[in-house]
Amino acid sequence: MTAIHPANPASKPSSPPQPAPSWHGRDLVGLQGLSRAELVSLLTASRDAAHKIEQNALDPVLRGRVVATMFFEDSTRTRSSFTVAAQRAGASVVDLSGGSSSVNKGETLIDTARNIEAMGVDAIIVRARQSGAAQIVAQAVACPIINAGDGRHEHPTQGLLDTLTIASRFGRDSTFDLSGLNVVIVGDIASSRVARSGIAALTSLGAHVTCVGPSSMAPSSLSALGCAVAHELDPLLPTAHAVMMLRIQFERADTDTPTGNKSEQVKKSVIASIREYRRFYALSAERAAKMRQGAIVLHPGPINRGIELDADVADGPRSVIMQQVTNGVAVRAAVLSLLVGGPRP
Amino acid sequence: MASLLITGGRVLDPSSGRDEHADVAISGDQIAAIAKNLPRSPADTVIDAAGCLVTPGLIDPHVHLREPGHEHKETIATGSRAASVGGFTAVCCMPNTSPALDSPELVRFVYDRARTASCRVYPVAAATKGRKGEELTEILLLSEAGAVAFSDDGDCVPTAGMMSRVLTGVKQTGRVFMQHCQDPTMTRGSSMHAGAISQRLGLVGWPRAAEEVIIERDIRLNRGVGARYHVQHISSGESVDIVRRARAAGQPVTAEASPHHLLLTHEACDQYNTLAKVNPPLREKSDRDAIVKGVADGTITVLATDHAPHSADEKALPFEEAPMGLVGVEIALPLYAEALVHSGAITWNRLIELLTIEPARLCNLDRAGLGSLKVGGPADVTVINPDLACTISNAALIGKSKNSPFDGRSVRGRAIATICNGAITHRVGV
Repeated sequence: MTAIHPANPASKPSSPPQPAPSWHGRDLVGLQGLSRAELVSLLTASRDAAHKIEQNALDPVLRGRVVATMFFEDSTRTRSSFTVAAQRAGASVVDLSGGSSSVNKGETLIDTARNIEAMGVDAIIVRARQSGAAQIVAQAVACPIINAGDGRHEHPTQGLLDTLTIASRFGRDSTFDLSGLNVVIVGDIASSRVARSGIAALTSLGAHVTCVGPSSMAPSSLSALGCAVAHELDPLLPTAHAVMMLRIQFERADTDTPTGNKSEQVKKSVIASIREYRRFYALSAERAAKMRQGAIVLHPGPINRGIELDADVADGPRSVIMQQVTNGVAVRAAVLSLLVGGPRP
Repeated sequence: MASLLITGGRVLDPSSGRDEHADVAISGDQIAAIAKNLPRSPADTVIDAAGCLVTPGLIDPHVHLREPGHEHKETIATGSRAASVGGFTAVCCMPNTSPALDSPELVRFVYDRARTASCRVYPVAAATKGRKGEELTEILLLSEAGAVAFSDDGDCVPTAGMMSRVLTGVKQTGRVFMQHCQDPTMTRGSSMHAGAISQRLGLVGWPRAAEEVIIERDIRLNRGVGARYHVQHISSGESVDIVRRARAAGQPVTAEASPHHLLLTHEACDQYNTLAKVNPPLREKSDRDAIVKGVADGTITVLATDHAPHSADEKALPFEEAPMGLVGVEIALPLYAEALVHSGAITWNRLIELLTIEPARLCNLDRAGLGSLKVGGPADVTVINPDLACTISNAALIGKSKNSPFDGRSVRGRAIATICNGAITHRVGV
């Protein structure tokens, strides 16, 4: 097994307690560059929101607020999750997504965002196919922006929900100190915003993260993100506490919009064939059996069943995939409440 | 009798080895005299060059003037004005216009537009029709019409088969072929250097090898042809090694370096800074150092800005969609000085050589007397105050587009007067 380790171990010594950082009026564009205290404050609020949602007791701190979803790329679950979260927290939601938006008529991202802001919304949740799009929108408007995925860059609420799910499962959700936990991320890391956000949060909190995939999907330069890089999955399974399977992103394999059937897409992709990929990187029931007791399997969805993840594993006892979805609503409700709740600026 | 007198400066003409304090007298469009204490008449316009370098007019062999087709970014008029402010008296404009400069008629169009420009403008013609890499242009007719060089700049001649026909065709003209070295199959979707920053930002990386394989290929193809082959805007440290080896083996290979590749690295792209998005991309410190070293040891003999204007709206697009390129012709001189002279890599004398006689020879402009200061030669002169400090301000740029990543940088060394064909095209501190 070849593993390239980052120059600087990500685990940081615990610092003395400090007042929780304020999120009021800020943007959430990414998790890279956030301090440990900032991450912990988001995760703590997310954990509390999860408990309150469970008891049907979430405070409607966003009552009277309007949140806009601006999705320029296909999404069902993320947009729904944000909508449910905003409504649970008391906000109303206006959706300006896909075909209904004038970006398809040539309007720029910035103009669209400024128009939506001028309507008087309190926050904009943006998803776009271009890396860096959320930052562009954040610079163009004054209201808080939440990045719901920008190209290959970041998907911060997904990174938070993955981290919350792992921390909860291993009893680390009081301090969110993840030292000693081994997290293995499998698949097309290079194209994955889910991985970039996850790596940023997990390594910052002390977890040891290894990215695994064929060299085209897991190039050694990924170590710049603070993770280790490996090309063999099997040797990592016995020591992993959490294995995060990524979706094979046929739609991101080429800059063109996807056309044709799946085998057509594979041709454009960075993998030679699905069978070759499965042979080395799919989490089959047989591979899952090599995992340690109590180890968990995550997937950000939607799953290509039978490609990166077998149905037996996705629906099996190690799977926390449904917990991820539930936590997603809690994370988004907490983030919206922190950024938008409280007195109007 | 002189009509313009430049007094008391250090006259530097690397083409003849002249380096002395003297006056330069200009009469009409010619240099009338170069000597100490020239007589002056009251009718003369006098430029006091005390403490300044008096050099042949600077030549930039690689600019984009965007005309015809993209006049919202730049025109021959605005781009040549920016060039004169930067100290340049001649520029060679690249053919990636719309339509591409691929016919003698379009070459003549550029010359026609350039008649009222602020500096001499020489078109570089496309080597393949529409710069598509599929069909040869009328290279002989283009040369006859006055194309000073050939290039598909902005795109690489992609296949070995076409490239070998291009080299053979260009060889017959005695002109140079300038290659934009980029294997297009290696850069699909790429928008910046492949490294730690591209990984953090989630941008598809642009490997060094995309440049290196083309240079290696072309040098091999050219072995049996012997055309003059020029590597544009070199970006990779190993590319410099490849050029060095080829030159040592006696091959007719030259290369140019641009201010941004001499000073910046991929770190400039952080925060999705589209002003630093350029083709080829800014790379790492080791590459930057190798390019400076290449200039210092004589591997790289030409400096070129690759002045590439784009509108603010275009540069406001998301990083992957924003166009590649940055402006530079106005501010290049102090940037070259910072990277090469203030750093101790080369002398002012050599810097002037890289900006005058070397690019003149590259584009056969030396045959018209450009690139040197000679009595009876064309009156193209640049007066440089090497110590004049200023801060680069994009808002203050006079070109049509303001897309420079050097905004706010403190620099030293500036053209205080530019004389093109006997006329003062730029003067500060009057």
